[in-house]
Amino acid sequence: MVVSYLKSIHKKIGSFLNGLFSKKKDIRLGLYGPPNAGKSTLANTICKDWLGEEMSSVSGIAHETREIIVKDKIVIENNGKKLTFNLVDTPGIATKIDYADFVKKGIKKHDAKTRAKEATRGVIEAIKWLDNMDVVVVVLDSTQDPVDQVNVTILGNLEARGIPVLVAANKCDLKSSDVTEIRNAFPQYEVIGISAKARENIDYLYERLFEVLR
Amino acid sequence: MKDISIKLMPYERIKSIGIKNILSDLKKNTIVVVDAKLSPKEEADLIQETMEEVSDSFSGIEIGSFDVSDEEDAGFFSQMRGRLAEFLLGKKRGLTVIGPAEMIKKIKKDPQELMFYLK
Repeated sequence: MVVSYLKSIHKKIGSFLNGLFSKKKDIRLGLYGPPNAGKSTLANTICKDWLGEEMSSVSGIAHETREIIVKDKIVIENNGKKLTFNLVDTPGIATKIDYADFVKKGIKKHDAKTRAKEATRGVIEAIKWLDNMDVVVVVLDSTQDPVDQVNVTILGNLEARGIPVLVAANKCDLKSSDVTEIRNAFPQYEVIGISAKARENIDYLYERLFEVLR
Repeated sequence: MKDISIKLMPYERIKSIGIKNILSDLKKNTIVVVDAKLSPKEEADLIQETMEEVSDSFSGIEIGSFDVSDEEDAGFFSQMRGRLAEFLLGKKRGLTVIGPAEMIKKIKKDPQELMFYLK
């Protein structure tokens, strides 16, 4: 009994010293949101800015991203400071996925069913990965009604886990964009109007990321 | 138009049968109304379970909810009383409505009201 007690003490001291001297784990920055909000476009903009290459494929058809995509060791700079993180592009979270919607967009029935199946798995994975995030940018389409239960659920889950959040109101370059509506819907969060495609306000998003992760 | 059933369910019942078991009702064209706001984790669990069940004949759910815990016009003591009640009852005051996506066109949510538009 004494031996097992001593062993447990030894183990605790070991893990304490490991934690003290080991390198801080890499920061994981997740991009979350409903389908077609522009998460992958933002991921590509960030990667093009700092790595000179794209990360994900984008499409006008929902659920183009159907599995988690991670880009390691992105180093961004701002005012002489550097920030390194692993960027995680996630599938859009939805409460319904109908293969018929893909057929309407011109995808063959068999392929549409496969896409729907993959998309459902993507949603499950995206939710599971919430626990692995250090900071999340929730990407919302500012041309759509923000008071959607999926958005509320994503934000509620991040808040419950104590994960810092920035809300990116994407597509602010479009005429029908209404960033104020998103601010009114989620007054407790910092909402930044951006256009990932037109690269509008992206530098300000980087500035805010530095602040949030400081 | 298909027959529609509406099932009113106490939150305690959801807790006892498990969130997954609502899906069998939803797949039978039933709209489930719960007398509380589900927690974010319960909502996420419901979405995950729904995705497991998506098939050619069941494309998922529509969900709408609101809570009455943080009404802006409620006074301090009223809010405290509400929070104490939630603590004692073990549930968030509010309402959750869940329906099969095949039946519901859209949900419009005002702060304290939900409007369901059926197909």
